[in-house]
Amino acid sequence: MSLNFYRRVAFGLSLNEKPDKDPLNWAINQLDNIPDLLWPGTIPTEKDLRKKYGEWVYGDREVLRKKFKNDKHAYRKAKDELRIKTGERYFELNEHAIRHFQTKYSKQPVFERFWLFWGNHFAISEKDFLAEFSTGPYQREIIRPNMVKTFEEMVQSVTTSWCMIHHLDNSESFGPNSKKGMEWGETINENHARELLELHTVSPNAGYTQEDVIQLAYIMTGWAHKWDRRNLETGDIWFDQEMHQKGDKIVLGVKYKNDAKRELAKVIHDLATHPICIKFVSTKLCRHFITDEPTDEMIKPVIEAWNKSDGNLIEIHKAVITQAYKYNENTHKFHPPEIWLMQLSRMFDLNIPLSFEKMNYTFKSKPNNRQRQLSWILREIGHSPYRAKQPNGWSDLEVDWVSPELLLRRFWFASVELPMLVKSGNRSHGFILACLKNNFEDHKNMASLIDNFRFGTSDYDLGQKYGVICNLPGVLKI
Amino acid sequence: MNCTRRNFLIGGSTTLFLSGYFPKISFASMQKKNLIIISLRGGMDGLTAVPVIGDKRLKKLRKKLILEDVLNLNSDFGLHPKLEIFHKLWQKNQAGFVHATNIPYTGRSHFDGQNLMETGAHIPYKEKTGWLGRGLLASNIIGKGLAISLPMPLLLRGVPQNNNFFPSPDFVETKLIDQIYNEFKGEHNELIKSTLDTIRQRPLSMQIATDSDDRKKLALEAAKQLKDQSGPRVAVFDLDGFDTHAAQGGVDGAHADELEEVNKIVTILHENLGQAFDNTLILTLTEFGRTIKQNGGYGTEHGYGSAILMAGGLLKKSQVYTDWPGLKKKELFEGRDLNSTIDSRAVYNSAMSICFNQDPEFLRKKVFWGDELPDLSQELFKI
Repeated sequence: MSLNFYRRVAFGLSLNEKPDKDPLNWAINQLDNIPDLLWPGTIPTEKDLRKKYGEWVYGDREVLRKKFKNDKHAYRKAKDELRIKTGERYFELNEHAIRHFQTKYSKQPVFERFWLFWGNHFAISEKDFLAEFSTGPYQREIIRPNMVKTFEEMVQSVTTSWCMIHHLDNSESFGPNSKKGMEWGETINENHARELLELHTVSPNAGYTQEDVIQLAYIMTGWAHKWDRRNLETGDIWFDQEMHQKGDKIVLGVKYKNDAKRELAKVIHDLATHPICIKFVSTKLCRHFITDEPTDEMIKPVIEAWNKSDGNLIEIHKAVITQAYKYNENTHKFHPPEIWLMQLSRMFDLNIPLSFEKMNYTFKSKPNNRQRQLSWILREIGHSPYRAKQPNGWSDLEVDWVSPELLLRRFWFASVELPMLVKSGNRSHGFILACLKNNFEDHKNMASLIDNFRFGTSDYDLGQKYGVICNLPGVLKI
Repeated sequence: MNCTRRNFLIGGSTTLFLSGYFPKISFASMQKKNLIIISLRGGMDGLTAVPVIGDKRLKKLRKKLILEDVLNLNSDFGLHPKLEIFHKLWQKNQAGFVHATNIPYTGRSHFDGQNLMETGAHIPYKEKTGWLGRGLLASNIIGKGLAISLPMPLLLRGVPQNNNFFPSPDFVETKLIDQIYNEFKGEHNELIKSTLDTIRQRPLSMQIATDSDDRKKLALEAAKQLKDQSGPRVAVFDLDGFDTHAAQGGVDGAHADELEEVNKIVTILHENLGQAFDNTLILTLTEFGRTIKQNGGYGTEHGYGSAILMAGGLLKKSQVYTDWPGLKKKELFEGRDLNSTIDSRAVYNSAMSICFNQDPEFLRKKVFWGDELPDLSQELFKI
């Protein structure tokens, strides 16, 4: 088995990890339980962060905008101060640190790869201040705990999470015949219903119609945030009967009797266990771990495991890994920038993320450059994880990641930034050779390409070496 | 299909080109036409950019947003003083405006709206390609799109091999690429290899590091590329910050700062395109306009109808092209927003037909699913 399996399903091997005698077993054994988050710094709860979100929007919208209506300079200054006070510029940096610390040090890196996968399948795209406050804790508290449950349970949690409801506007969706809908002349917002069908479960392959979207939106009406003058849109999610469309609904030919809040769980059950959903999500999993266009033959055992286990994610994950192992030698998979960065960080023991002591924040001034570094790098290489542009998340296809500037950014990172992230004890040529040997069969050929710089340990020399190594075809993809 | 003059010309040149005897000299005289789109994210306020003159109602509803020193366009409309370049070009018939226009989207969400302004569709997130990408593909113009942004914007998606320019913070030694280029072997590495080719063939000016926050430098480089006969034919700029809920102000407010950015880009393009400016169209694109009435923070909320700012030598004349809906309460959309009486996609469809030498009817079908979009080429552009 090629060493690239450790990058196919994880992040490669650090120098203190050695290849396992049984790589398949090594990988499969990582999926039964949820590893703890290792980050020694602060890990705030979703609820706390939502409170901060509320302080920020209330402070800006209800206080500052009114106070400084005639003075854009004073307004901007006061707004910047509020950003500092509420952590608006800080929490996302901390979330990136938590995430990268995990992928770098986790003893169950294969589990972590699935964590990234599901966070992107149920993506929260860049909207309002979600990336600043909420997407990170959503990944930790909604996605992660569900990874040892069933797919259906995952969909239930995601669909009723504050983050997804806010992201897809379900709080603005009123049943036209509901009490509030009639009083206020409001109607449905179809966003969340459409994405639940299209992106989260059955996909357009199910052949649903606009009427199905509308009917599902009716079922979803009422699942909204509580609103009050102080917390605005950041209140908890509840079911508001007065927003809920009355009457029976029909989605994909199935009738759902008028049953208030219980309708949603029923329709999610049917969607999440729909054969087309199972095929769609199995295909996405295989695409992520095997190759951009997985064949039916590759996908079939995953579907079988899904059916056999009634959608148990542990069993599904194991089937995916088994297939990834089976096809490891004759398929190729390009890795998007963030996974590439995580792999470099683990294989070459890079100095990211910053230590938790240095990430500590006092809410008194802007986060410093070092604290912003990891997030800045992610943005510059084009893959700030919690800022996908659309609800379909980041693409898993090579074609979407290979543009001139996006490739140049990788050369930039590896040759200019990376040398500054090499720890002082790791600057020797021997260190690079050892890391290569630990992760690549053709390490000798790779080493020969940087042999000219074997005596160099300056940032420039390291830049020349890493600039070449990190952008080789066998590193950009497997 | 009617054989219009334009179709005749296309037919003629294609035949000659295919026959292989196309004389070089007349090829050179057939100037490349450029289409530049500047996305104004956040909701550009058409009534701040191109205010209607003497409407008492607007003055009453926007007491704190009154514009002083408005530049004069005609008896009905003025121009924001920060949009000087448009005023200058207006004198030469090289600037114009379409007013009370928008994509057919009334939902007032930035994200849905921006998605729709790029896909040109009716349902948010349904289409995964942009109208400009589809227009290029339908016109068989491949590898001629230039995005001034790091990711490939949705607007340009749907056609392969676009270039993008958004330099990294530091210089990248492209000789690194030479060192590993030959390692990219086999079919599965073809895409990366051909992209590395694109990088290696770039002019030196595109290889240097630039501050990507410096829009001046980016615009300068874009102009250089567009000027080149064999260079890109389409460029896309992205600006944000038009969402002025507070302190929108008048001549010096927050919205004015953003208009100043537009002005800067167009000024640089105009100065540096030289002769090529005569064969260029610059159009703005936004997700919606803003409410007529100022809000409690002396800003405005998300609205509907807005305006398209246009510049370039391919404009027919200086004009404010509009079917003005009026600003009386009953004339407003939902009693609060400037209405949209022109589907802005008709303007973009017509612009593509001019710049890509393509039948607008054909594009309408290929790009906008045959939606009812009148051909405005005769009214707006030089045919």
